[in-house]
Amino acid sequence: MKVTVVSRSGREVIKGGLELSDSATVADLQEAIHKRTKIFYPARQRLTLPLPPGSKGKAHFYHFLGYKGEHIKHPVQTYALYYWCFHYFKRIMETFFVHRFSHATSPLSNVFRNCAYYWTFGSYIAYYVNHPLYTPVSDLQMKIGFGIGLVCQLANFYCHILLRSLRRPDGNGGYQIPSGFLFNIVTCANYTTEIYQWLGFNIATQTVAGYIFLVVATSIMTNWALAKHRRLKKLFDGKGWKT
Amino acid sequence: MARILSLLRRLYLTVYNWAVFLGWSQVLFLAVKTLKDSGHEHVYNAVEKPLQLAQTAAVLEILHGLVGLVRSPITATLPQIGSRLYLTWVILYSVPEIQSHFLVTSLVISWSITESIRYSFFGMKEVLGFAPSWLLWLRYSTFLLLYPTGISSEVGLVYFALPYIKESDKYCIRMPNKWNFSFDNFYAAILALGIYIPGSPHLFGYMLAQRKKALSKSKKE
Repeated sequence: MKVTVVSRSGREVIKGGLELSDSATVADLQEAIHKRTKIFYPARQRLTLPLPPGSKGKAHFYHFLGYKGEHIKHPVQTYALYYWCFHYFKRIMETFFVHRFSHATSPLSNVFRNCAYYWTFGSYIAYYVNHPLYTPVSDLQMKIGFGIGLVCQLANFYCHILLRSLRRPDGNGGYQIPSGFLFNIVTCANYTTEIYQWLGFNIATQTVAGYIFLVVATSIMTNWALAKHRRLKKLFDGKGWKT
Repeated sequence: MARILSLLRRLYLTVYNWAVFLGWSQVLFLAVKTLKDSGHEHVYNAVEKPLQLAQTAAVLEILHGLVGLVRSPITATLPQIGSRLYLTWVILYSVPEIQSHFLVTSLVISWSITESIRYSFFGMKEVLGFAPSWLLWLRYSTFLLLYPTGISSEVGLVYFALPYIKESDKYCIRMPNKWNFSFDNFYAAILALGIYIPGSPHLFGYMLAQRKKALSKSKKE
């Protein structure tokens, strides 16, 4: 018998259809589809029969990207996209308009290293957050996560404003002890808020990839913070240091 | 107090290094003996237990580096230990079909000679305070042959194990799950092979630099 395999939109998934024996089973059909399409092994197929005439709905054998079931898009996936893009947009704007750098340039090799870091993690996390089989967390957890993230990003922005005011615009860099707001508690409150905003993102999206990113980013920033704290301690040798 | 701690450190490291040395010498002995008596297909079965013990003990060395018991930077020891544990457990132990391959023999002999020299070198330093010059020479020269043979054996074994890894679902984690995580052992093996491309010259170069430093220092003395 001749079997046509058609997607929900009506497109023929297997051109010309398949020839099967009259006693063929569904399993045989799945094997035949697998042979022709290579990537759709039986576990990735969902096949339905055309409905009898007069009943509602459309006739379909269907496939969707090889994954069982409909392609459902969860709101959290859209919010994650906005959050991620907002985070890096904010960073770029801060680089242009807020930060005052002690060294205005950095080595070219940093470009390759930094891009590799951001793009690899970006794609690694995005793969899972936008996966057809992504499992979202509860609505409450998502709201808490993004809530923490946004509050910490605001706090982080304020930390950057405070750090900016430590240096003169014509300034020759130089280091000052930051104070005020969270800087009264930790030396590098900007890193603290950055770390916690990523935690918020992960609470909302819950992927192992995202948490790995959090651990790596935290260890990098912790190293920076410890170094800066040591540097400031040496420079100011107890002067102006609140305990 | 400090003297007691320093003595304890020396005692612990002495016991550790000589114990692991014994493990690796046993691996070397059994490998050569089995090769001679029964052929390369049986080498893995003969060395499996002492190999797993001696190689897995190396995890302690990461701890030693982290707590400051030894001076070696963990950036040098981590990739080495990582690849060793990967081969020992994810490839050799988990892919039975590869265990009779002749590359197992070359792998195990390369590793056990290198490690016997290395651990006796450290063991001597802890006990005597120094290592004899012939052992120093061995430690910083045999890698010139054994790194290439060892690395080729590692790469070869991973490569030949690929079809068996693909067929099996071992260690694979599939979606969907609540942590939105997946792991495909086959693609991880391909990635592991890829890492050898920058990793091997990096490790070899590091050893070459260490050799220069160590052998020129001994000449001055």
